[in-house]
Amino acid sequence: MALRRITRELNDLGRDPPSSCSAGPTGENMFQWQATIMGPGDSPYSGGVFFLSITFPTDYPFKPPKVSFTTKIYHPNINANGSICLDILRDQWSPALTISKVLLSICSMLTDPNPDDPLVPDIAHLYKTDRARYEATAREWTRKYAM
Amino acid sequence: MSVPPRPIDKKIRVTVVAADGLSKRDVFRLPDPFAVVTVDAEQTHTTSVIKKTLNPYWNESFDITVKESSVIAVQIFDQRKFKRRDQGFLGVVNVRVADVLDLELDSHQMMTLDLKKSNDNLVVHGKLVVYLSTNINQPITNPGPGTTAGVTTGMADLSIETGSTAGSSSTVGLQAGANGGGLSRTPSSHATEASAATATASPDTDHPQPDAVSRPSSTPPSNPPTNPPSISQQSPQPAPPSTPPAQNGRNFDPSVDQYGPLPAGWERRIDPLGRTYYVDHNTRTTTWNRPSASAAVNTSAQDNETNAARDQHSRRILVDDVLEATSPSNRAEAPPPAATPPSGPTQMSAGSATTAGTGSLPNGWEERYTPEGRPYYVDHNTRTTTWVDPRRQTIIRVMGPNGQGSVQPQTISQLGPLPSGWEMRLTSTARVYFVDHNTKTTTWDDPRLPSTLDSNVPQYKRDFRRKLIYFRSQPAMRAQPGNCQIKVRRNHIFEDSYAEIMRQTPNDLKKRLMIKFDGEDGLDYGGLSREFFFLLSHEMFNPFYCLFEYSAHDNYTLQINPASGVNPEHLNYFKFIGRCLGLGIFHRRFLDAYFIVSFYKMILKKKVTLADLESVDTELHRGLTWMLDNDITDVIDETFTTTEDRFGEMVTVELKPGGEEVPVTEENKKEYVELVVEYRIVRRVKEQFDAFMSGFSELIPLELVTVFDERELELLIGGMSEIDVDDWTKYTDYRGYEQSDEVIQWFWKCVRSWPPERKSRLLQFATGTSRIPVNGFKDLQGSDGPRRFTIEKSGDPSQLPKSHTCFNRIDLPPYKDYASLEYKLTLAVEETVGFGQE
Repeated sequence: MALRRITRELNDLGRDPPSSCSAGPTGENMFQWQATIMGPGDSPYSGGVFFLSITFPTDYPFKPPKVSFTTKIYHPNINANGSICLDILRDQWSPALTISKVLLSICSMLTDPNPDDPLVPDIAHLYKTDRARYEATAREWTRKYAM
Repeated sequence: MSVPPRPIDKKIRVTVVAADGLSKRDVFRLPDPFAVVTVDAEQTHTTSVIKKTLNPYWNESFDITVKESSVIAVQIFDQRKFKRRDQGFLGVVNVRVADVLDLELDSHQMMTLDLKKSNDNLVVHGKLVVYLSTNINQPITNPGPGTTAGVTTGMADLSIETGSTAGSSSTVGLQAGANGGGLSRTPSSHATEASAATATASPDTDHPQPDAVSRPSSTPPSNPPTNPPSISQQSPQPAPPSTPPAQNGRNFDPSVDQYGPLPAGWERRIDPLGRTYYVDHNTRTTTWNRPSASAAVNTSAQDNETNAARDQHSRRILVDDVLEATSPSNRAEAPPPAATPPSGPTQMSAGSATTAGTGSLPNGWEERYTPEGRPYYVDHNTRTTTWVDPRRQTIIRVMGPNGQGSVQPQTISQLGPLPSGWEMRLTSTARVYFVDHNTKTTTWDDPRLPSTLDSNVPQYKRDFRRKLIYFRSQPAMRAQPGNCQIKVRRNHIFEDSYAEIMRQTPNDLKKRLMIKFDGEDGLDYGGLSREFFFLLSHEMFNPFYCLFEYSAHDNYTLQINPASGVNPEHLNYFKFIGRCLGLGIFHRRFLDAYFIVSFYKMILKKKVTLADLESVDTELHRGLTWMLDNDITDVIDETFTTTEDRFGEMVTVELKPGGEEVPVTEENKKEYVELVVEYRIVRRVKEQFDAFMSGFSELIPLELVTVFDERELELLIGGMSEIDVDDWTKYTDYRGYEQSDEVIQWFWKCVRSWPPERKSRLLQFATGTSRIPVNGFKDLQGSDGPRRFTIEKSGDPSQLPKSHTCFNRIDLPPYKDYASLEYKLTLAVEETVGFGQE
């Protein structure tokens, strides 16, 4: 059952933690985790600490985990509810992926947004047309909500 | 700020906001929930009663005095059952103040908590939204009865047994809930007061009772005398409008969404697949569409929807009729008479069967109109009805025994017995053939039909028409002498039909069906039972009753709800539904219901496969497919078990005996996948399905129905309709192709040339069901929302077309000429049942 795999991932995270991320169960329920991501240094999110909630489906790892930001963030692929538009969390999920790899993908998405497949078209538009203003807003949100 | 001495007593405010997804203990009734708040088994407060809902929204606040160690218990009861032994207990949550609030600071907490069971182990599920705040400056503006003295003292008895178990966050309220003693005295007074207060006008206050969202202040609740400080602090000033606790967007408020509040009596809910739907408690109906503020618009929208569904249902006709109407010998001389829907622009505009023919009707025939204005024809000689104008009915030449052609209208079922010495048999592949014992020869051709009739039929293995002839001609499918009267009230069709159909013996149900709607005139020559089955399908398959639910694939194919056990009577209802399906098939009526493919396969006792899981659970299908295609060593850490979330509790189920001890490896993964699929589709609903089949097989012998394949069975149960190919073409998307491409032109040319049954079969091949959305192809749904029918350029011309039912897509290789496209497409549609699809 899913619990064995989740436990193994937790142990792996403890033994070999990925840089600038952490994750673990919030309480006794192993299917409900919280994760943190440090804003990457080369991005406007630098200095921020972002919290995410992770819910494992009972069929994990056959089905992808549900991951969303609980800290507000200004990003073309993350909406106001914290939902993340990332292919590996949807149809590109594979049981060979792990939470650690998912968090690293989210980190790299913070550095390199994908404005061509946006969840928030307005932010994507700004990202494409006025990068400076996008970065300023993202920095301001980071200061306001993630520090 | 001065720090008060410990342990501090502090007044805080608790707001019981709402509950979501309470357990449903009755089939036909929803509970009238109210909440009881206690602090360390004292200071009892009750909310008002919300009528008939599993998702009550109270938003009522009470000021209570707590220590850090206090435990606040909120219990939910059904007011209608409060007198019973279990008091209609619907769940409890216990909150230890120190766990959520810092009493020395200003703090507040919005919590969504899972409701917990009581000692008596009644099933409990759902969530409760509670808000705690140290801010008590705003006056309380509860709408309900609050805690009038009588109720309060009465209710206070509830918790006597628990004493002060402060500090243990476990079962403070539970004991109270489970203890019947002090409880049974109070409820009547409480019940009447509570229900009176939730009626449209509250007699206790001068204020009119407004709707739940914008209530002005009414009487503030008075606290019991045991707690005088709280009263003295109550603000006496005129109250400003209440500010409900701040909802941060992620908390679920069932009466409000991003477009503002819903109309009164409406509620927003999320189904287990995360889709939003709307419940109208005024009419006890549900819809996917957000209601408009105007009730008239909603009603008319709903009526339109029902009428559109009914219209479409009435356009579907019995497969027997379609097959007869399209027998090839007719096609040459006359347009297909029966199935043409009035709107079918593909047909000659005036060629519809329902257009009046010329001349007068034959003796004993009468023309009538449905309430929708569609003409139909009553044959009083045989007491049958038909959509087909007898003046236009196709003539089948039946060769008389003396060799001369006698001309008479025939339907398949009226062919009569086989000539002497002939016998009808089935091959191992369920193909019908005929044995002539006189000459000791066999033939595919029905000796009762002129041989020319079949000369143009392509000889595919599958021949639905022949199978139907065989099926209908079996002695077990003949009606018994006498009448089977079923009298129902239109508004109680489910309950009444259940009583009527379950009280009769299977043999009675095989008599001529006579449906009567209470208070309506009308003789059932077919029209009434058609309406009956239409209305009944809409009721008994309504997910509202938790017996069936919509599959993940889209929002209209049905599957058995594995959690139907919340209704203790569910197995009787499944047996009833089985009888209804059998009744429909037996009496040649059809239901407005379409099931997932694996359900039909289960009826036919066919093995379900991984491909069948796709329509039920796309993500799991993808994961399991990945597992078969990749090396799973060090990736999959499973045993032969599966985990299920049963009302919030994680339950591990062994897929085979001792499965918990057997690790899944690269070697045995195939077996594991098979067992998971088997569990998901079959084992999980086995009890329900067996009950269903016990009812179904009382009318339809299983060895007869197994002549059909799963797609044919869908048409047998649901009927079939002439598909509007123009509409279909209009709402088709292309990937890699342009609409003007030759291959696409050929594709549609080929489809248009096909008889209705094969068009239905193509639709089944591509989308998994022959059902067309009520508003046509533009509303086709995929597993991830709206998905138009799509043709993708994919594959080699030597291959057959493939389908992805989950995305309503066909992969069509770029064939080089029309003939090969026609050949491959026909072969794919006719032959690939259960394989070849992804």
